[in-house]
Amino acid sequence: MNIGILSKRTTTFAGKIKKYYENKGFKATIYTLDTLVINETLFKNDFYILKSKNLFFLYAGFFLEANNIPVIPNPQVSFKQKNRIQSHFLMEKAGLLTPRFYLGTKETLLDQLDSKVFPLILKPIMGSGSIGVKVINSIKELKKEENKILYLEDFIKGIHYNVYFIDKCVCTLIKPPLSNEHVEMKVIKTSKDIRELIKKWRFFLTENNLFGHLDLVRDESSKELYVVDPGSFPEFTNWKCNESPVKKICDLILNKYEEKKANLDN
Amino acid sequence: MKKIGIIIDKYHLNNKVTSFLEYLKSIAKVKLYVEESYFLISSSHQFDEDIFFLKGKGDIILSLAKLIEEHTTIPVINSFKATCLAINRFLNSTYLRKAGIPVPDFSLNPDGTSPPFKDYIIKNIVDQGVYKFNPIIIEEDGNTRVADKRALDEVNGKEHQYNFLYYQKFIKSKWEYKIYGIGENIYYYKQLPVLINPIKTESRQKIDEISDLEEYCLKAMEIMDIKITSLDFHKDQDDKFFLTDINCTPNFNYMRNGYKIVADYLLKEAKN
Repeated sequence: MNIGILSKRTTTFAGKIKKYYENKGFKATIYTLDTLVINETLFKNDFYILKSKNLFFLYAGFFLEANNIPVIPNPQVSFKQKNRIQSHFLMEKAGLLTPRFYLGTKETLLDQLDSKVFPLILKPIMGSGSIGVKVINSIKELKKEENKILYLEDFIKGIHYNVYFIDKCVCTLIKPPLSNEHVEMKVIKTSKDIRELIKKWRFFLTENNLFGHLDLVRDESSKELYVVDPGSFPEFTNWKCNESPVKKICDLILNKYEEKKANLDN
Repeated sequence: MKKIGIIIDKYHLNNKVTSFLEYLKSIAKVKLYVEESYFLISSSHQFDEDIFFLKGKGDIILSLAKLIEEHTTIPVINSFKATCLAINRFLNSTYLRKAGIPVPDFSLNPDGTSPPFKDYIIKNIVDQGVYKFNPIIIEEDGNTRVADKRALDEVNGKEHQYNFLYYQKFIKSKWEYKIYGIGENIYYYKQLPVLINPIKTESRQKIDEISDLEEYCLKAMEIMDIKITSLDFHKDQDDKFFLTDINCTPNFNYMRNGYKIVADYLLKEAKN
């Protein structure tokens, strides 16, 4: 079997996936942004793994699915998690709390934003993780921004969590605010409400719920949990719970592929 | 009187909708939501319009459309989905072809990698910002290669965005067939291709119905959920039509009474 892996890097988690499948006797090829060409030449693989949410990997995913080549995780769902606007409405639809956002040209925001709403978090509309994310404390700081259109979210004060899930297994870590997935984090026992939240999210994702992560903040006054960033395929750098994630994820992907293939064959 | 919300950018407001707004204001209450001055708050979604019409495709316009669709039952024309698909050439080519509509071969390549066809046109992947098509034409070894400057700027220009180019196989055609779809009605025109005569209206002429184009137009509108559109077709030497472009903000001023047709259609589609 030939497996394509859409990933920005050939090392890290994508490299481990490749090695795992090669050890099983499969041929696995990693397509990076330097080697990816999106046309019929991609049809030589049996299925693809969408490791990165970079726009061009998502385009490849859409193209492949439209041509009946399975892509795991689902590119549509991954795209909705990459676009902040769509992600916001996705969370609302799933019945999860997510911070209010403000959108406008810089001039409009400077003119109409109430100074009482600061601090706010500035985020790129297309993006995930902590890249391009920063706290804006005042109108004065907003004036320094160069982008024409700005997306800002309410800053929820409280404890930040990075919560991974692989199938039914949930791994919760305390996370420094606005940090990426790779900083040192302390694992904690998953609370009942976090477990329930992940269950709700996975239920909403239906068949696309194999694994992923959510960045959560527990509001210091209301104690409610807000989803501030979803992720469809993290690196699992801080996975500190039971077995290694590589085997579990690769096996889940293989099972899902068999399921999708059977559906296509029928 | 019905209430119609127009979600628009300054470019379209200043250049494309004078007659349309004048007529619309005589038959409905009109409220403008101008992208450059609209302040969107995700928790604020009280609207009393009977229908919304999008005339623009910027991020704020799209976000407002999405907000309205998620929180109200007010019809939005064209919808968020329709606009997102129409502005993305790669995605619409992918889905139009899947639906059986002939589109020219296409490929998305990193800069420096040639596509698998000799005659091609390089187009911008997402047709969202700068509206003017600015072609650079190279005839080389009997092959035609055209590049839209906007596409090259996205890869090599000051505002570099990414490293990929969208190649569409170039279909030589004597005429460009311009088909407008407004609801269930289709209007047929042809003109010399823009590469031959950039002033579109000079050679534009109304033509009789063409059944193939009717079928492709209605199918494209259905699968993309697009209600108001213009489609460009080229006809190759075997008389086969190829859909080369689909537009979610067509310039209806090029049609006779186009502004009236669109306004009347919106009124018909408004909530009761």
